[in-house]
Amino acid sequence: MIRSAGETVYGLMNDTVTALAPHSDLAQWARPNRVSVPEVDYDRLIEAIALRRDRQAFSVLFAHFAPRLKAYLMKAGATPGAAEEFAQDALLTVWRKADLFDSSKAGAAAWIFTIARNRRLDVLRKDARAPRLQEIDLAPAEPDQPDRILAMGQDADRVRAALACLDAGQVEAIKLAFFEDVAHSEVASRLGLPLGTVKSRIRMALIKLRRQLDPSGEGDLS
Amino acid sequence: MNPYRDPSHERLLAYAAGTLSPPEAVVVSAHLALRPRNAAWVHGLQAVGGELLDTLEPAPMEEQALARALARVEADGGEVAADPPLNDMPELPAPLRRYPLGPWRWVGPGMRARDVMAPRDGDTRVILLKINPGLKTPRHTHGGVELTCVIQGAYATEEGRFDVGDFEEADPAVLHQPRVVSEEACICVVALDGQIQVDGWLRPFVQPMMRL
Repeated sequence: MIRSAGETVYGLMNDTVTALAPHSDLAQWARPNRVSVPEVDYDRLIEAIALRRDRQAFSVLFAHFAPRLKAYLMKAGATPGAAEEFAQDALLTVWRKADLFDSSKAGAAAWIFTIARNRRLDVLRKDARAPRLQEIDLAPAEPDQPDRILAMGQDADRVRAALACLDAGQVEAIKLAFFEDVAHSEVASRLGLPLGTVKSRIRMALIKLRRQLDPSGEGDLS
Repeated sequence: MNPYRDPSHERLLAYAAGTLSPPEAVVVSAHLALRPRNAAWVHGLQAVGGELLDTLEPAPMEEQALARALARVEADGGEVAADPPLNDMPELPAPLRRYPLGPWRWVGPGMRARDVMAPRDGDTRVILLKINPGLKTPRHTHGGVELTCVIQGAYATEEGRFDVGDFEEADPAVLHQPRVVSEEACICVVALDGQIQVDGWLRPFVQPMMRL
C-alpha cells in the first residue's frame, strides 16, 4: 500500500504543486480509503528532504501536515493565527531536522507529532526565561533493547490496528486527552459523562493499546 | 516490576502528549531515562499521537502559506541553538544533565537540596534532594502533588521501597516519612508544589528549617 516509486510520488507531487490553493484537495489521500487510494509515503518525503533538500517533497509534506498541525494547536486552545504560525514553525523544524529522521524508529506522522509535542511544550511553558524543556529525543539511542524499540508499534499499520481495537467511546476519550489541553473533569463534561467513567475509559484504552503494541510490556497493570 | 513504582497511565499519556506541566515532565523524563521499558512505551504513544494527528480534520492554512514556508526554507541558515553546557553532576541521567543547578542548601541534618533550573509552573518547581544513609525525614504531607524519581540509592516509606528509577506520586492526602535504606546517600529529583508540611509535635522546631 505504500508507494515508494519516484514516479508515483512525483506524479502526486506535481498535482499537488499545481493545485496548491485548495489544500483540502489533499483529503483524497486521507483514510479511510487508504487501501484503495494511492497513498503518499511520507517517510520517503522526509528522507528526500534529508538527502537532497528536496523542495517538492517539502511542499507535499507541508500540504498534508501543516493543516493538521494547525488543527492540532487550535484544539489545544490556540487562535487560528497562532496555530498557523505554529504549523509554519513545526514544518521548518521538519526541514531542519530531516537528517535525524530514521523511519526504522518512528514513522513520519509519529516523528512530526513528536516535533509538534516538543514545540507545544515550549510555546505553552509559562516561564519564558527558563531554559528549554528536555525534549523527547527524536532518535533515541537504546543500545540495550534494540528489538524492543523496533517492536514497539512504530509501524503505522500496527498503531492503526491497535486503535481499531478500541471502541468509539475510548477513541474519543483518548483523542481528547491527547489533543485538548484539559483536565479529565473537563473531558468528562464535554462528553457528558461522569468523571469516573472518563478516567476508566482512558485507562482501559491505554491498557488495550499497550497490550497490542507492546505485548511483552506491562499491558495488564492497572 | 512493581506497577506502583511507575508513573500512572494517565501521566505517561500526558507526558507523550505534551500536556504535563514542565516541572512534572522533567521528573518523568528522568524516570524514562532509567526505565527503557517505559521509554519504549512512550515512543509507542508518540506513534499513537502521530496516527491521531494524521486523522485530524485539517484546518485550512492561509492562502500564501506554502509560498511563505518555501521562502523561509530558502532563507534558513539552519538551527543555531547550541546545547547548554553539562552541569556538575555526572551521576544524573542524561535528561537532567543540561539544566543549570543552584548551590546545595542545608535543609536539615543530613539533608541537602539544590534547585534544578528547569521551567517552573506556578509554585511547582524541580529540586534535587540528597539525604544521608539511615536518615529519616520528618513525617510530612504536601502542599500539592509531589512527584519523585530516585536517581541514586533507595528510600522506603509506609508504601514500600523505592530504588533507582522508581517513581512516586504523593498527593496532599499522603502523610509519609521516607527513610533512606541504601548504603550510599539517596539522591532524588522532585517536582514539588508549594512547601511540605511537617506533622506532629516536632513541627514548630523543624518546619522553619524545611525550606525546600
